[in-house]
Amino acid sequence: MKFTSTLMLFLSLSRFVLGGMEFGDIPVHENGRIKPLDTFSRNQLLSLYEKRTLKSDALPEDEAGKAVEAVDWLLHLTTNPDDNDRFHVFNIRNPQVVGSLGLEWRKNHLYNRMEVLSGIQHQINYIADIQGKSEEQLTEFDKQMLRIYGNIIRFQELSYSFTCLLPLVTIENETIAKKLRVEKGTKLSYFQIVRNIDAINEPLKALLNKEESQWSAEEKEVKRIVTQLNDIGQDNFAVSIKIVPPENADDEAEWLSPWEIMESRELGERQEKLLVTLENYLQAYLQNDKAKSTNALTQYEQILLSDFNQLLSVKNLKTESWMNHTKLFYKSMAFYLLSFILLSLSWVFKPEILRKISFSSLLIGVGFHAYAIYLRIIVMQRPPVSTLYESVIFVSLIGVVSAVILEYSRKDGIGVFAGSVCGIILHFVGFGYANDGDTLGMLVAVLNSNFWLATHVTTITIGYGTSLFAGLLGHIYLIQAIRSPEDKAHLKTINSNMFGATLFALFFTLFGTILGGIWADQSWGRFWGWDPKENGALLIVMWQIMMLHMRLTGLVKPMGFALGLVLNNIVVILAWFGVNLLSVGLHSYGFASGIAINIAIFIAVEVFSGFGTYFWASNRRLKLKS
Amino acid sequence: MIRYLKDPRIFVFTIVWMMILVFAGTIAQKDMGLFAAQNKFFSSWIIWLWYFPFPGGRLTMVIMTINLLFFFFNKSIWKLNKLGIVILHIGGILLLAGGGLTAIYSTEGNMVIDEGAFSDFVEDYHNMELTVINTSHKKIDSYTVFDQPLLKQGTILQHPHLNFKIEVLNFFKNCEPIRRDTDPGVHYKGMMKNFTLTERPVEKEDNWNRPGIVFEISGTATTIDGVYGLFLGQNIPQSITVKELKYELVFRRQRTYLPFSIELIDFKKVLHPGTNMAKSYSSEVNLIENGIGKKKLIQMNEPLRHGGYTFYQASFMEGQLHETTVLAAVKNYGRMFPYISSIIMCIGLLFHLGIKLPDLFKKINKS
Repeated sequence: MKFTSTLMLFLSLSRFVLGGMEFGDIPVHENGRIKPLDTFSRNQLLSLYEKRTLKSDALPEDEAGKAVEAVDWLLHLTTNPDDNDRFHVFNIRNPQVVGSLGLEWRKNHLYNRMEVLSGIQHQINYIADIQGKSEEQLTEFDKQMLRIYGNIIRFQELSYSFTCLLPLVTIENETIAKKLRVEKGTKLSYFQIVRNIDAINEPLKALLNKEESQWSAEEKEVKRIVTQLNDIGQDNFAVSIKIVPPENADDEAEWLSPWEIMESRELGERQEKLLVTLENYLQAYLQNDKAKSTNALTQYEQILLSDFNQLLSVKNLKTESWMNHTKLFYKSMAFYLLSFILLSLSWVFKPEILRKISFSSLLIGVGFHAYAIYLRIIVMQRPPVSTLYESVIFVSLIGVVSAVILEYSRKDGIGVFAGSVCGIILHFVGFGYANDGDTLGMLVAVLNSNFWLATHVTTITIGYGTSLFAGLLGHIYLIQAIRSPEDKAHLKTINSNMFGATLFALFFTLFGTILGGIWADQSWGRFWGWDPKENGALLIVMWQIMMLHMRLTGLVKPMGFALGLVLNNIVVILAWFGVNLLSVGLHSYGFASGIAINIAIFIAVEVFSGFGTYFWASNRRLKLKS
Repeated sequence: MIRYLKDPRIFVFTIVWMMILVFAGTIAQKDMGLFAAQNKFFSSWIIWLWYFPFPGGRLTMVIMTINLLFFFFNKSIWKLNKLGIVILHIGGILLLAGGGLTAIYSTEGNMVIDEGAFSDFVEDYHNMELTVINTSHKKIDSYTVFDQPLLKQGTILQHPHLNFKIEVLNFFKNCEPIRRDTDPGVHYKGMMKNFTLTERPVEKEDNWNRPGIVFEISGTATTIDGVYGLFLGQNIPQSITVKELKYELVFRRQRTYLPFSIELIDFKKVLHPGTNMAKSYSSEVNLIENGIGKKKLIQMNEPLRHGGYTFYQASFMEGQLHETTVLAAVKNYGRMFPYISSIIMCIGLLFHLGIKLPDLFKKINKS
């Protein structure tokens, strides 16, 4: 009841909070997906700076103590490209690279564009040399150099992306100003002049046939304008912000950046409307005119809604940037932590009310957690699990929900303990993965099937979650057997919970695996191909079947069963993450370096704690008997 | 006897051994490749480790199946509250049986079609054949095919349709044609006059290998007698004329001809816009049987099923003039088993959970 009401609260809270259009909500196309500028700028910042928000260490001294959102950084960068040295966003951690770029070693590893650019110029020959090499031939140093080189280009591209929309050309001649229908002294953008190029075409033609000494004042002005346009045109390399949607709603057509549009590509009527509105917004922002800029954004939203509705959903864009800001997973994490702390206190002081509060805290955490996953489903229009990152957050939810069910039936804190531990650990793992890049990526062709993602992948991931939950119960049983081996009745209840959890886990792992086989049969004609990921899933299933039969035949007693469940965690982790280390087979899509060490640590901890508690508990029981 | 055969401990031991095999076989894939690891660990009866024999995957699964079958001789299981368990085990047996059928009877191969072209045969992934085509008649060619098991060093290939003998001198799983520096003499014919075939180490993936064969033709009592060589992908077939009969010798992947043919009308590859990442692949084909064509679309996750075969979009090649699709063609008699068994197992496990659940999550007695 409490749970459903919390959930209802979140769902109703859901998208009413979405206000008017903001700069961060503007759609842009990157890596095969339409996303809000907010996400785009976070991804860009992540690649350069390795964080999604600018902390004060990257800002100039007069702004120290503040934090700047990625999208504000992007807005400042694109509207004041010549001021882009103020941000120290180049994160260079390799001392060798810092040395060879001729930079001073800084504790915060942060440098600005000017510093990196002059350093790169010394190494340009070396970089040209290693660019031709294949991935395996590169040393770590080479890879870092290429990364920095790629980053400086990325940064330059971002900075000059909108220069064609900025008011950079001042019209100083009265006649020309009149022809362009503006006041003398007005600043116009490249795009504005190009749109009205007919107005100055006549003097332009005229001056080409004359000596420079014979030029009239207007002609001189036109010459000056054209030269300036030419200079600005040098920025046409900056094409990374693909902000202009295709004229007709065709989701296979390419999105274009403003500079690509300028480069004499055809400009549709709707595209022009949108680009002009963007220009108005940027100019209003530069003039610090709040009313005008809000107006421009509202107009931008109107155009998107009326002309590009088939291509994108403005509501989803807003939802996504709202998600970025609210950081729901940090909130769920906070409540899991709170719940754990309250539970620990309840063990020390033993009042029942503390346990109840900690349970409520866990439930609120689950609410945030589930809501965040729900929003991701809405935004991506696909089932909850399709990447490694998504599997982590989903498994963590399954673990916590299982624990909630357990707590609901036991009411003694063991469920809260299992739930909060599971939630906290897996949230940390998830945050680690989130730092690899956009967590909302596109999928390769074979995974592009919502039906199978929804059935096989979701089932097997629920299997992982319930298996890990069973393993956690194994730990709890062993700990309990050490703490109070005399309380047989209590141990017995945990024992039967363990058994039930294992049956549940087996249900999901078994059918997840079989569904995977059926997908494989449907898609490429073999039910089973001994692919590493398939084998991994099979190992979990066999391990669980083995444990159940060992328990049945009396080969293991409850304590051994608990140990078996603990070790099952290792099998789960190997199947889940370890398979990617082999880098063979169809499923090796989620490789992350450094994962091997983490897996090794996990295995060591599980083996050590599992066997350690097992022998300790056996010892305690023997003493109790004698 | 039955008492021992139905002992569930046998099951525990076989499943432990199976887990070891699966683990080892998975790790081994990194070095050996999938096909070799599968043959060594999973499709084998006996695995030799040094001089010691160990049960292979197939033997282990047979023991497991037998043990499972005898499970039904337990009198104690035929009770209502064990019904779920019984159903579950029936499902398990069906799953293993289906696996056995697939292992024995399924065939798979590739069908490679250029845009605008036809194909009516499936090429095996692994096995080769040596085909002798008699092209003397104007209207019909007659084919004599020697399959891979015959293509071993020392075998003599003969057939009433052929007026000569072929002796296999060498068969390479992977080889490389290398140009000769010196003239080898008149006994070497065709490609072998200018090249030798040198054996190369076998690659992890079978389709990276270039198999080759060296053989001697004799019994013609002419200058046709001599040593010949062929390798996979050789542009020009070996032609010989023996007693006014013209032959072509081709060394190629083993072919199975189908009673229908498939024409590739168009192959399409769609990328996620602005990336190099494929969103979908699809082949628009014309399925022609008895002269009647039917248009079909084969794409990822949506194969074409016809005549017991299933055709999947497996791969493609991009040429300068046209694209080529690679369809995987599979014939599997056991393919319905996993579907049926998983439904049965699902029912069984749910049934059992339903019976047990109240016990397992009983509320604790606070007193």
